[in-house]
Amino acid sequence: MLGRAAYKVKGGKLIKVQLTSEGKKIKNIKITGDFFLHPEEVIDDIEQTLEGHLLDEQELSRLIRAVLASKNAVSLGVSPEDFARCIMMACEKNE
Amino acid sequence: MSEKWRLLDTGLNDAFYNMALDEAIVIARSKNLVPNTIRFFRWSPSAVSIGYFQSMEEEVDIKACDEMGIDYIRRRTGGGAVYHDTEGELTYSIIVDENHRLISRDFQETYRTLCSGLVLGLRQLGVPAEFKPINDIVARGKKISGNAQTRGMSIVHQHGTILRKVDPALMFKVLKVPSEKIRDKLIRSVEERVTSINDVLGRDMSFRELKDALIKGFEDSFGIKLMPGSITDFEEDVAQRLKVEKYASRKWNFRR
Repeated sequence: MLGRAAYKVKGGKLIKVQLTSEGKKIKNIKITGDFFLHPEEVIDDIEQTLEGHLLDEQELSRLIRAVLASKNAVSLGVSPEDFARCIMMACEKNE
Repeated sequence: MSEKWRLLDTGLNDAFYNMALDEAIVIARSKNLVPNTIRFFRWSPSAVSIGYFQSMEEEVDIKACDEMGIDYIRRRTGGGAVYHDTEGELTYSIIVDENHRLISRDFQETYRTLCSGLVLGLRQLGVPAEFKPINDIVARGKKISGNAQTRGMSIVHQHGTILRKVDPALMFKVLKVPSEKIRDKLIRSVEERVTSINDVLGRDMSFRELKDALIKGFEDSFGIKLMPGSITDFEEDVAQRLKVEKYASRKWNFRR
């Protein structure tokens, strides 16, 4: 299944998610948008970490938060919860 | 004796060289080959730059750009898509050591500090500029400057655009619109949210006058003296290499 969603964070930035899922798990995911994430390459780590994981909002935000912490990364204009929200919107749209 | 920084005015260049030179200066600064630097530049041909995390196909009307001879490029910084009109805007970069007194660990605070030079410069021209978090400068509530920052190699790199005149209709010829039906609505919304120096002052501002005001703004706000300089052979070599290998490559520009 293919899903897409865009989510504008109030007072923040825009996140766009494009994903394919198998059952309740993320198969492939691409996160784009006009947000800031430092260091920038951490977006690849986030995408790789999420692949194969269950589409569960709390679990997704926990995973993203853990990637940021392990890479000493910070986001600006978006939070791990916002990414997770947008991912769930993308998977809801594909059902 | 105030602290001396280098001032570069690299004039008109294409998008690929412009972004390559920014990174080349960062590399040179990280090797301590050059001082902290502020650079002014413009784009010829006009170009669209997209943020590091954006998708080229989703943001840019590539066919329209090709037809109009407008370049499109991915930046090394995050943020949104910007249309850099040759006559419509001035672009600047700040390249400064991460350990400098002006730099905070906090990105938001650093945006505010580095944008304060622009705010002061614009105010000297009579533009009632204010910093608006996260990364904008507004005048009378409308955006007049967008800015983007990144860090790496122990260097802070911030660049941004200052709108001299703005043409929302042209902006939406080069940027993708979700559907033709809402094109006019988007144009009106930009007209409501975005302004320019010429709009605010009701006169034609020259690039010379704008740059002079911004130089003064940076000097007074940062407590520095900007010394006109030139790029080094090292920077030019690295820029030429990065232009070919990175910024002009499809691999980089279409990576997301």
